[in-house]
Amino acid sequence: MDGKKIEEIVITAFNEYFETQDIQGKVDADTVLFGEESALDSMGLVNVVIDIESFFHAEGYNISLTSERAMSRKSSPFRTVSTLVDFIAELIDEASK
Amino acid sequence: MDTNKIILITGTRKGIGRYLSEYYLEKGLVVIGCSRGESDLAHPRYEHFCIDVADEKRVVEMIAAVRKRHGRIDYLLNNAGIAAMNHSLLTPLSVVERIFRTNVFGTFLFCREVGKVMAKSKAGRIVNFATVATPLKLEGESAYAASKAAIVSLTQVLAREFAPFHITVNALGPTPVYTDLVRNVPKEKMERLLQMQTIRRFGTFEDISNVLDFFLQDGSRFITGQVIYLGGVS
Repeated sequence: MDGKKIEEIVITAFNEYFETQDIQGKVDADTVLFGEESALDSMGLVNVVIDIESFFHAEGYNISLTSERAMSRKSSPFRTVSTLVDFIAELIDEASK
Repeated sequence: MDTNKIILITGTRKGIGRYLSEYYLEKGLVVIGCSRGESDLAHPRYEHFCIDVADEKRVVEMIAAVRKRHGRIDYLLNNAGIAAMNHSLLTPLSVVERIFRTNVFGTFLFCREVGKVMAKSKAGRIVNFATVATPLKLEGESAYAASKAAIVSLTQVLAREFAPFHITVNALGPTPVYTDLVRNVPKEKMERLLQMQTIRRFGTFEDISNVLDFFLQDGSRFITGQVIYLGGVS
């Protein structure tokens, strides 16, 4: 699965969540996911992470976004959509080896 | 209890887990079981996975497979557990690690992975297994009692974290039931333990399923973060 497709899935998951929660704004690669600049609260992020994981599981990729690697990084992969997409690409790449 | 519900029970090869599998099959539910070894329980509505409950990768794979096949999980019973009875001064660290791996890490992993599936359907019931050994502060069971104390804490915090997803998390603390776990304990020791309970007898499988039915029934949607001990222990 290429980066473009992963980005599409991630953006769709966020947009769908924003829609259900009446959160204004469109999501793109630079959208901030966590912290003061983010439109999401911590529970919102949990919800979207679950949605993204379940989508990849359905596609046959048993990745876990809550891996130790994600938590132990100096800069969190959950900063923006593009850092999250890069992280998922790494996990998928590793899982397919 | 609706008959089309899907229940996942850990540690189903024998003892309480085996009884619960048969009990819920009898009620018409689809039962997903797991244990380290194969199960000889053959039933059209029973599916068995051979896994170590503390193996993160395998647990993630198992739950992904269940999600793919059934689309949801309604109930989770974290029954898998091990015990070791010995004076702390004579207990190797490897035994303590083994107990915590199965009892605490295994329960945590299943709560996390099944919790994600339940969160998607905005419904679910989780029951973890505690023990009377914790409130009774039983000598010779430090590692076991401590691991189950962690389960109580885990249950109470998860109840809060999972509440926004309409998932309840409760715990049941059985007294000794006459299974493999207690079969090798000297009779006098077991008798002393029973004397510490308010109702002084072994628990039965039915005592356990009675409390589980209460936690799982539709009307219990407002009950979470609770621990019910059998035998009047508190």
